[in-house]
Amino acid sequence: MSAVMNRNTQPSKYGATRGAIQIKNVDKIYDPEGAAVKAVDNCTLDIPAGEICMVVGPSGCGKTTLLNAIAGFHSITSGEITLDGELLCGPGKPQAEPGSDRVVVFQNGALFPWKTNLENVAFGPIVQGKMSKKEAYEKARSLMADAGLGRSERNYPGEISSGVRRRVEIVRALMNDPAVLLLDEPYRALDSLTKSVMHESLLETYYKNKVTIFFITHDLEEAIFLGHRVVIMTSRPCRPKKILEVDIPHPRDYNALTSTRFRELMDETMDAVHEEAVKAFEAGEKEG
Amino acid sequence: MTTDNSKTGVGQGLDQAAKAALLRETMPFKTVPDATLRRIADLAKEETLPAGTRLYNEGDRADDLFVIASGKIEHALGPEAEASKLVKMVKRGDVIGWAALLSTKQRRLATTVAEADTQILRINAQKLRDLFQNDQQTGDMVMSRFATMIKEDYTLPDWLAKTRSIGEGTVARSEAEVPVSESRLALLGYRLGLWVKSPKPYLMITGFTAVLLFWHFSVDVFEWPRFRNMPGLVEVITEWLSRDPIYGLSVWTPEYYTHIIVSIRRVFIAFLLATALGVTLGLFMGWSKGVREFVFPVFETLRPVPILAWVPLAIIIFFHPESTVIFLTFLASFYATALNTMLGVDSIDESYSRAASCLGANKWQVFRHVIVPGALPFIFTGLQISVGVAWFSLVAAEMVSGEFGLGFVINTSYTMVKYPTIVIGMITLGAVGYTTSAMVRMLGDHLMQWRVRELAMGGR
Repeated sequence: MSAVMNRNTQPSKYGATRGAIQIKNVDKIYDPEGAAVKAVDNCTLDIPAGEICMVVGPSGCGKTTLLNAIAGFHSITSGEITLDGELLCGPGKPQAEPGSDRVVVFQNGALFPWKTNLENVAFGPIVQGKMSKKEAYEKARSLMADAGLGRSERNYPGEISSGVRRRVEIVRALMNDPAVLLLDEPYRALDSLTKSVMHESLLETYYKNKVTIFFITHDLEEAIFLGHRVVIMTSRPCRPKKILEVDIPHPRDYNALTSTRFRELMDETMDAVHEEAVKAFEAGEKEG
Repeated sequence: MTTDNSKTGVGQGLDQAAKAALLRETMPFKTVPDATLRRIADLAKEETLPAGTRLYNEGDRADDLFVIASGKIEHALGPEAEASKLVKMVKRGDVIGWAALLSTKQRRLATTVAEADTQILRINAQKLRDLFQNDQQTGDMVMSRFATMIKEDYTLPDWLAKTRSIGEGTVARSEAEVPVSESRLALLGYRLGLWVKSPKPYLMITGFTAVLLFWHFSVDVFEWPRFRNMPGLVEVITEWLSRDPIYGLSVWTPEYYTHIIVSIRRVFIAFLLATALGVTLGLFMGWSKGVREFVFPVFETLRPVPILAWVPLAIIIFFHPESTVIFLTFLASFYATALNTMLGVDSIDESYSRAASCLGANKWQVFRHVIVPGALPFIFTGLQISVGVAWFSLVAAEMVSGEFGLGFVINTSYTMVKYPTIVIGMITLGAVGYTTSAMVRMLGDHLMQWRVRELAMGGR
């Protein structure tokens, strides 16, 4: 890792020096009981370091398969994925190793309910042996305080609202100083008001820590509001259908939502998304 | 604004002694020395609120606190309080208006409305604090008890449930600085008091009474033919408590305790073995596909074999009666624990293991930090079943083998026609069994604070 980073210290156009993901001709075929199902088909995508890349597609199209391949939860059938030039998975190595350089925030949240929020945040560096317990707790405390979560330190995740839980989970991820945050529809279960608060807080976090964000959603508005680019996926098998550059300047706040440019971008992409949604619906894909 | 003095009537009903007695019933003032309590009573002004009166609103200035003497008041906390339970009905002996004592700011956190005609005592918070200047120790104790009450009864978070201390005026002081044992004991006593005041104990007593009455009437009063040979309630109780029991076993005879202790010892050993082996096997069966495919079919084939079918083999193998009994007692508990533990591991959402490996945990760390704690709720469900099953099999085992124990008592009493002793054995078994499973439950709650708190949030 470090060797690669030293070679490539030129900041990207988003001002980040690491976290560039290259997905090259990736195929993924599931083979449950001999009936091959193609989930990802010849998918190629280049994500520069520090980009917020929003991936939109109908439910069950295979976006999560792609995320799982980057995270190292699933193998790929062919093609390759690299992070900062280093091979994550590809020929001869079908499955990446999960690692703290690519931390996932899960759809339904995966804070350990049996650990307090503080213990959850401090978990990564402690199990990796990178910090002593004391150091980890100290850093976790200060990160939580910065994120305005100091009050929930001693609570268990089950005692706080789902919005706050998501924020704690993102702090838990940042605690490891990752190159990439992989978010799998993290705000799906939240109501729209909480969602809007979450979006602003995510952007605020991003402005402070320029990490690459690979964010899966099926909410087009969310995608355009947050992303530098929005990648619209085809329904299964999944491959980029259209890539939209969102030219609304960062930092953004909620006024962006009512701007004319925002509406234009929505209009521009709506048809593409809708078309795929109809295809997926007709194919009767199971939601994933 | 302290509201509504005009709307409330001032009654003359309570004298100083009655006020002091009322204060004694409350959580914060329970342990105040008599002399101080009387002086607090002098500060307390009695008022009557007609039904529907609003005592104060959220956001009002908080100067006074109130003790309810009769009637009831709805106490609705606002969002600022971050309480986990917002609405509470307060009655005699409850104290509201405690926001006046908080270290943060003296603003009302709740809106309170009298549900019925309600009699209250109004105590000015500043005057109360002044009074404690002469006895700071008592004052700090009262304040810490307030903090505990606010946290526990009004479900406020720690950071808010801080009362101002007496000594240094406005310096915040949390109840955590008071010796923990002291405040816990006080809290336990207070909770016990609440329990006694709630309908729960009386319902429980009613349940037991109904069963006992049915027994008594069916055997001794109506003398139903089916119950002809059954010993009556009176006979059993008389025998049980007799210093000179007709059939030789009562609370006064040492053998009674020998039997109990022997049985408890057997269950204890069997239960410990079953827990150690069952949890271990269950965790590995759940965690590793290899182990499961290897062990589970064997396990599932042996599991349906009843304990009694094991008796002959057990005697042949172990020969020694004590080991035989322990083995038989162990067996069913082991199955229950292992199976529940395995299901517990299955129940863990895959995201937790994935999240842990993302955060850099290796396989063993995932096992330790995810699999074990994640399976804990199921494990404890299993252990509660297991301890019950242990008693169940113990009696079967003792009936076949052994020369002491409650199962042995029941069985020999039958062959020797000591019918009341059978029932004594049964009741004792029930009581001891109930106690052991309650202990397992308490241990579970202790180990799984996260779960207790989560369930509490769900409004259990």
